[in-house]
Formats: sequence, structure tokens, C-alpha cells
Amino acid sequence: MPLLELKNVASYYGSVQALRSVSLRVEKGEVVTLLGANGAGKSTTLRTISGLLRPASGEVWFEGQPIHDMAPEKIVRLGISHVPEGRRIFPGLTVRENIMLGTSNRGRLPKKQMADEVAEMFEIFPVIKPFENALGWTLSGGQQQMLAVARGLMAKPKLLLLDEPSLGLAPVIVQQLFATIRVIHARGTTILLVEQNANMALSVANRGYVLETGEMKVEGSPKELLGNEEVRAAYLGGHG
Amino acid sequence: MSTQSLETPRARRLSPWPFILLAIAVAVPLLPYFTNVSHFVLSIFMQASTYAIAVLGMVVVLGYTGQINLAQAAFFGFGAYGVALGTVSYGLSFWLSLAMGIGIAGLAGGILGLTTLRLGGHYLAMITISFQQIFDLVAVNWIQVTHGPDGIAGIARPSLFGHDLSDDRAYLLLCSLVLYAMMAAVWYLPQTRLGRAMRGVRENELAAEVVGVHTLRTKVIAFTLCAALGGVGGGLYAGGFAYISPDNFNFQRAVEFLSMVLLGGVQSPFGGALGTTLLILLPEWLKEMPPSLQFIKDVYLAIYGLAVILIMVFMPEGIWGLLRSKWMKFGRTAPVDTSGIKLLNLDIAVTEATPLLKLEGLRKYFGGLRAVDGIDLEISRGTVHALIGPNGSGKTTTLNVVNGIYRPTGGRIIIDGSDVTLKSPHERAAHGLGRTFQNIRLFPSMSALENVIVGAQRDNNPIEPGGKALVARAMSALQFVGLADRADAIVRSLPYGHQRLVEIARALAGHPKLLLLDEPAAGLNQTEKMELVELLKKLRSGHGLTVFLIDHDMGLVEKVSDRITVLNFGKKIAEGTPQEVLRHPDVIAAYLGDSNAAA
Amino acid sequence: MDALANNFQVLFQGLALGSIYALVALGFVLIIRATNVVNFAQGDFAMLGAYLMVAFMVSAGLPYWLSFLLALVGMGLFGLVFNYGVYYPLRHRGFLPVIISTLGASIFLQNTVLAIFGAQPKRLDNVVAGGIQIGSVFLDSQYLVILAVTMVMVAFQYFFFEHTMLGKKLQATSQDKDMARLLGIPVALMIAITFVYSSALGGLAGVLVGPVLFVSIGMGSIIALKAFAATIIGGFGDVKGAIVGGLFIGVIESFAAFYISVPYKDAYAFLMLFLVLVFRPQGFFGERVSEKA
Repeated sequence: MPLLELKNVASYYGSVQALRSVSLRVEKGEVVTLLGANGAGKSTTLRTISGLLRPASGEVWFEGQPIHDMAPEKIVRLGISHVPEGRRIFPGLTVRENIMLGTSNRGRLPKKQMADEVAEMFEIFPVIKPFENALGWTLSGGQQQMLAVARGLMAKPKLLLLDEPSLGLAPVIVQQLFATIRVIHARGTTILLVEQNANMALSVANRGYVLETGEMKVEGSPKELLGNEEVRAAYLGGHG
Repeated sequence: MSTQSLETPRARRLSPWPFILLAIAVAVPLLPYFTNVSHFVLSIFMQASTYAIAVLGMVVVLGYTGQINLAQAAFFGFGAYGVALGTVSYGLSFWLSLAMGIGIAGLAGGILGLTTLRLGGHYLAMITISFQQIFDLVAVNWIQVTHGPDGIAGIARPSLFGHDLSDDRAYLLLCSLVLYAMMAAVWYLPQTRLGRAMRGVRENELAAEVVGVHTLRTKVIAFTLCAALGGVGGGLYAGGFAYISPDNFNFQRAVEFLSMVLLGGVQSPFGGALGTTLLILLPEWLKEMPPSLQFIKDVYLAIYGLAVILIMVFMPEGIWGLLRSKWMKFGRTAPVDTSGIKLLNLDIAVTEATPLLKLEGLRKYFGGLRAVDGIDLEISRGTVHALIGPNGSGKTTTLNVVNGIYRPTGGRIIIDGSDVTLKSPHERAAHGLGRTFQNIRLFPSMSALENVIVGAQRDNNPIEPGGKALVARAMSALQFVGLADRADAIVRSLPYGHQRLVEIARALAGHPKLLLLDEPAAGLNQTEKMELVELLKKLRSGHGLTVFLIDHDMGLVEKVSDRITVLNFGKKIAEGTPQEVLRHPDVIAAYLGDSNAAA
Repeated sequence: MDALANNFQVLFQGLALGSIYALVALGFVLIIRATNVVNFAQGDFAMLGAYLMVAFMVSAGLPYWLSFLLALVGMGLFGLVFNYGVYYPLRHRGFLPVIISTLGASIFLQNTVLAIFGAQPKRLDNVVAGGIQIGSVFLDSQYLVILAVTMVMVAFQYFFFEHTMLGKKLQATSQDKDMARLLGIPVALMIAITFVYSSALGGLAGVLVGPVLFVSIGMGSIIALKAFAATIIGGFGDVKGAIVGGLFIGVIESFAAFYISVPYKDAYAFLMLFLVLVFRPQGFFGERVSEKA
């Protein structure tokens, strides 16, 4: 039984049909990446999984349980944590508070445990440690992204959905971030990664899918996808 | 090309109801001349007609323009005090006093609007309430002038062309005639330039501003009209009842005006009049109730309040909206006559060799985020220039700065030789700048044609003056995108792909020199994308129009662009022909990620 | 009495009155932040609280503290009803319908209370009788209570929002609802809690101010208008701004009434409001209204 499975999912974003028919599965322990040009439906796929969008048709299963009719606050309690595009840090709360709120799906935690878990995040993300008590909006893009991932991890997810973590980050920062993603994976978290930065994404993934205008085009190993013409075409329109 | 059907369009079968209402409207003011109607009943009708005039103002400001006004009772009071003080205290003629009252009401509305409409929303609601309260305080406390809580008695009625109007029946006739005239004007308003601008503001203020509507001015005018209508109603009211006091014009009354327009239907003068009539007659009916139901009389204001909530939840368009949707089923709209539509003229004389758009060191920072970080760019006349780059590279921000939605942090924007850096979006539209949005911004409850006309009515549009030319221009633009036969469709009901085309038509109707397209292919399926490519090619073929577009679909960008500029981190990383740019290693790295870095 | 003593007396009263505005303004701000709409019935929460107090203490003859408790609990429950009856059905429909709906609720509340209690204003007794005489300055006990309770409430609210998880969840909800849901925060519940708390806070203001002003149907509207003016003057949606703005208006109003003219007492707040809107629309503490495409 796969950890996550999408069966012929179709979704509308407002009046636009963003997903026509998307099927994918993620096995426990994998890093799976979802590639495709902008507007291909990558983010919509994640939003549909996490419950922000309800699929018009098709099914989403998690650990052998259908979740496509559930509200997002319920889905996150089952163990799917979604780090959305654009980081969505709470701007008026401190870094520490942002991280603590990541535990909202787990009920009340003892003070000690909370402090330990926050400290652990600062170990994984030393970049943001100095800003512990700074307000969210004062952070740079890269720091905000680290914070967003840290907050997502506080949910102790069985599955982490990462939406374009490299967005707007300078190459050095992207490398740092992906090194961290490897660490998170090594610690046992299954990851579904949406990326525009295909090379980077394939460097950490076990498998990948390519989406084009709301439909699954190709599935394969990183090796297969790296050389694939369709992948390049999806991004650069037949060039490159 | 004509899509006119061969069968002659069937005549619209009309519902009988409008005619019945019209008959009632004519009969009511004439009835007293034929049968004996008590003074009491006449005064109820006078009250209804004068209130209804004030409520028409609410239709203009709330229904058409989407702005809230909770001070209508104060404006009503300006008119009433104008007449009362003018005739009683200063011995002026009724008509002069009325004119002054209306003028002061309008002026007060305009000033209030100018200071607060910029802020909109909640501020407006609260400020108008405050204004209403201050009016009340002054009316009660400035005893030397307003006579304070005692009010002013002995207001005389005027005569008109030698006819004495002091008779109740004659005065009611006057009030009714003024009401009907105002209703006709308010009913006609949405089809005018100003009315469309108002509805544009209500439907999507940003889009209205961008296509050339001076949104602040439009709102201030709406507010002034609303206040002036309040003044007309109040002035006539003072004459009708011969006595006024501050409690006729307090906040309670303002809320009644609001309830009336909401109950009747905020979008239509008929709704406003209907709501007014119902809420004035209701308490009178309640008085006739058997004693067991008399308690209702004591709580009818509470019922008002409850009704307001229920209307908002269950009947947002009011009674008139409900009735109208019933009647509409009777009628069948005739198909749009698409014969005789002129070809859309998009010609721009390409005279000078200077670039049409020039950006010099353009910067836009949001806090610490450098969304646009020093871009220099020149776009040649008559070309299609694409701006591409990964997500978050600053493309849409650039477009928003060019467009005037954002003020740049630094740098200059020059369009056709003039510096527009500090100009507002509607001024840039008047300069020949058109635009579409990534997440379509149309006026959803207006028809496709009306949407496009708003685009055509921008200042300096080189078309003939007059409404006919506007419609013709708009129809040509719809024809150009292939939607002329859907001109009457309400935009909200159109499929997404068609909405995009309507938005492009709206921009083209303004005859732009420079057209900004923000991801025109977003959300389109493969067929629609092909059609879009054809459309863009049609735009490019020798009209002289310059297009500046963003899109993520590289296939599309390559097919339609002459030049491409690539952004990353708010900076230009490459520029050139599609062939050059899409093979450029930096560009490939920006899109696919640096493969060395991944190792 | 010398001028200094006079000024002190006026300042004292102004601060106490300003505290009431601040309490109601706090309720405003919390609801604005949770729902992005202004609750035009906020002042009527104060009115209702005062009448509940009248009902329990004067009509039912219960002891002060029990009545006080019951009034606050009653107001909390009322906040829940208000949330589900007035806000919730319209939450997806933009701000105008919600504003109008809260206005409707305001009219409904005032006239329902009118039908039950009649138009005659009611009297509430001070919590503690008397006051403190310092030289020629008299500090009325009720004013002292108002000042003390306001300080306690501000401190409580600070602690609650900054040092409890629930407080942080409420803040998160007001800052980004979708993200809050993704983290598992029950947003609808958070908004309901906000209404309950704001309603109780408004009720508290009403109970406190009852003995100073008379308890009347219209007491809420006038307090609400000044409280709203306070939120704008302080900076729209800013908690600190609401408190400072409330105190500011109370003080200005008291001095203007003392030195200029009493009948226009209620107009000074609005005058200040107009001035602030024209010259500093973002208020004392507010940031410039952020640009958004």
C-alpha cells in the first residue's frame, strides 16, 4: 500500500480546470518530485492533497484512507504537512512562535517537549537560530523558506509536501536548502517535492513525475528524466 | 462575417407587471383629484415620495458604485434646513432656498467624499456615521440658527408658473413628478459614461483605474449626486410637512434609508422606490392590526434590524432583484446583430525611431525584498517584446510598475517620449497604455459589451465623440477577438477562455499604443492557446501596436515575440531574439537549475 | 479650586472615559484582525452588557459580583450567537454585506432592549461607593475602578496573546487563514472565540461605564463611534494604537468639554478623526496602507 495515492484527480482553481487527470503515488520513505512548467498544475496538485482544494473528481488516498473530502485542518492531523509556495510565514509572529505553531495538529505539548523540539529545529536550520525572536517579516527570502520548512516539520509529518522551496532564492542558498532536504529525508520523512528547478529536484529525488497542462506526461527515475526531451520541452518549449 | 440567424428574431414577450406598476405610479398622485383622500393618507404619500428621492441617492452610491453612505439623513437634512431656514428665517423664495439646500448637501457630500473615499471601506462607513452624528449635534445645539430641538415651523409651500401648490394634492403631484423624473434619470445613469465608470468601480476598482477610469473622481461624483438627491428629497419634505426638527434627520433615519434601499433592491431605482413605499406603509398597516398583534408596533424597528440581516443573507438583491429574475424568464433577448461591424482600427503611426517604452534603472523594493532591482529596458515601436524569467523573478512587479499600480522605488518610466513615472494608472491609460491581468480582472456582472465600452471610453481615445462611436468601437474590438455574437452575455457566465478574450478586447478598445499582457495563456487549454497565438500574430501584423507580454509558455513566447528579455532576482540576465535567448546558458540555468550546482 | 487641580481633575476623568473607549476599541480591533471586517454592533455589546447588569442586579436583586459574573458569561454566549447569526453566513461575501449585517444587528439589539426595558435610562450603582479626596481633586471610585480594570485587561490580553498557544493561534488566524488551516488550526473556532471574547470585553466596558453614564439604549452607539475613531487615530487594526487612541480621545474630549463647550462634547472625537484622516491616514502607529495588485 502506497503512503499516498492520487487516482485520476481533476481540480478547478476558480473557474479554470487546473488538473485534468492526475494520478501518482508516493511510497513510504521516498522523495518524489513533481516537475513541470508554471501553470502545469504542480501547486494545484499539492493544494488538492492538503485539502485547500477539493477535487472535482478522482480520489486521494493516504495510508489506505480516502482523504479527498476532508478539511485541511483534519488532513494535517493525519500526518500530511504542506509547506506552500511563497513560504507564508506569519509576518507578525516571531520565528520561534512560527515554529511552535507548526505543532498545532498535535494537540497540547508539554513545555519541555516543545522547547526541545524547537531547539532541534534550530539544529537542523542553524541559519535562523540568530533570529529566534525576530518577527517573521523581517527575514530574508532564504531564511523565510528555512523557517517555513522548519514549521512544516514540527507537525511530525509522515509526508511533507514542499512547494517550490527554491523560489526566488540565490543559488548558494538553494544548495543549502537542498542539503537540508537530504537531511530531513535521511531522518525518515517521506517528501513530495514540487520544483521548477528540475536539476536540483532530481538530484535529491528517488522518482519524478512531469506534469503538463494538468496532465501527467512522464514518470521515471532521475536518470531517465534528466535526459528526457519532454522535460526540457516542458520548461523551454523545445529549445535548450 | 455575420452570425445573424435567418429566422426573424421573435419579439420579446414582456411580462405584464411593469405596466401594472406604471399604471399604479401614474394613478397614485392623480387619485386624490377624483376621490376623497384624507389629509393623513396624502401626507403618507408625500413622505414616501420625498424619502424615495433620498433613497435614489443610495441606489447611486451603494448600488451602482458600491460605496457605503450612512449619512443620507444628514444630506436629507441639509435640503430640509435649506428650505426651512431660507423661507422662514431669511424670507427667501422657496425655489431659491431649495436650490441652496441641494447645493449645500451636494457640496458637503463632495467634500466628505474627497477626504475619505480614498480610504474606502470601513473608514467610509464610520466617517459617514460620524458625520451624521455631528450633523445631529449641530442641528440640536446651534439654536440661534437651527432653532435647536424645537425645530422650525411654518414652512410655506411654493407656487409654480402661477399655480399655487399649497394644496396637498398639488404638492403631492409635484413630489411625485420630481420623484419620477429622478427615477428616470437614475435608471438611465448606468448606460452613460459616468454610470459605467461607477459600475466599473463597484465591480473591480483596480481594473477600472487601469483601463482609464478616474476612480476617485467617479466615487466623489457618485457621493455628490447621492447627497444632492438627499437634498432634493429633504427640501421637498420640508415643504410638504411645514415643520421640521432634528429628529427627522438623525442616524435612525439614515438607517431607515439604508434598510429601504436594501429591502427594495440596491441595484435599481425601482427597487429603491419599492423598498421605501413598503417600509413607510408597513408601520401604518401595523397600526390597523388587531390588539393581540399590537405588540409588533413596539418592536417594528427591531424587526427592521432583523430584516436587514436576513436580506443580506438570503436576498442580497432585494425584492426588485427577485421580481426581476422572475420576469426575465418571460423575455428572450434578441440575437446580437453582428452585421455592419467595422474592422477594428489599431493603427498607430510609427513615426519616430525612438523606443516606445523606456525603463531607466527601474527599482521596486518591498521592505527588504528587491523585486525589481535596476532594470534598463527599451521596447521598439511596433514590436512584440516578451519578459520571461522563473517564478518570483520580478516580472509581474515590473508590469505593475510600468502600469502605475506600484510607485517605483527608483528609476524612470518613459512612454512615447514622456516621463510617466509619477502618473496614476488612469493617466497612463489616457496616454495609450492598455493592460490585461494574470488573474483576469473584468467587471463580472456587466455584459461583455459594457466591459469593453469601459475600455473604449478612456480619455484621449482617438474615436469620434458620442455614445454611438463608443459602442461601435467596442463591437469592433469584440469582433476582433471573435466574440461579437456574445456581446450581451454577462461576463461572469462566459467560459474562462472567453473571459480572457473579453479582457484583451477591453484593452484594445482603448486603442493603446502599448499593450501589456500579463500571462495571457495562463489557464487556457491547448486549443485556446493556439487561438491566442493566432490573435497575437494578428495584433502584430503591421498595425504599429507595441506589445509587452509575460508568459511562461515558452512555445507561445517564441512564436509571437520579436525580442525577449529574461529576468532573474529582479535583474536582467539576458536579452535578444527568441533563438538567442532560449539557448543562452544563463537562461537554461535559471529555468532548469544549474546542473553544476546540483552535483 | 486652582487651575492645576482643575486640569488634573479633567485629565483623570478623561483617562477613565478613554479607558472605556479603549476597551471597546480593543474588541473592535480583535474582530477586525480575525475577520477583516468592522463590527458595527460592538458598541451595542457594551449597551447589552450594561442592561444585563441591570436585569440581574436591579430587576432580579442578585448581589453585585454574581450579577457581574453572569453578565460577562451572558455576553460571552451572546458573542457566540452573534458569530453564527450575523457573521458566519456572510463570511465569504466581502466586507460590505458583513458591515451591513452588523448594522442590522445593532438596530435589532437596540430596539429589542428598548421593547423590554423601555426608553427610560437606568441607573447602576458604583462598585464601591465614594472616592478619594486629594486636596481639591476628587477621584471618584468608579473612575478608579475603570482605570484599574482597564489596566488589568490590557495586561491580561498582552499575556494571553504573547504567552499562550491559543493566543498565538488567534494571531496566526488573523494573519493568514489558509496557512493556519494547513497547520491544523481550526480557523472557524478561532473566529468564534474572538467573537466571544470581544463580546465579553464590550460587555465589561458597559458594566463599568454604567454608573458613570446612564444605562440607555443609545449609550453603545456613541461609545462605539469614539472607539472606532480611536482605532483609526491609533492605527487601523493595531492593539497598542487602540489603547492609546482611546485614552487620547477621552482626554481631548474632557478638556474640550471643560474649556470650550459641553454640548459639542461628542463632536470633538470626530473632529480629531477628520484631522487624522486628512493629515495622517495611517494613524499614530499604523503603517502606510500596503500596496497590493
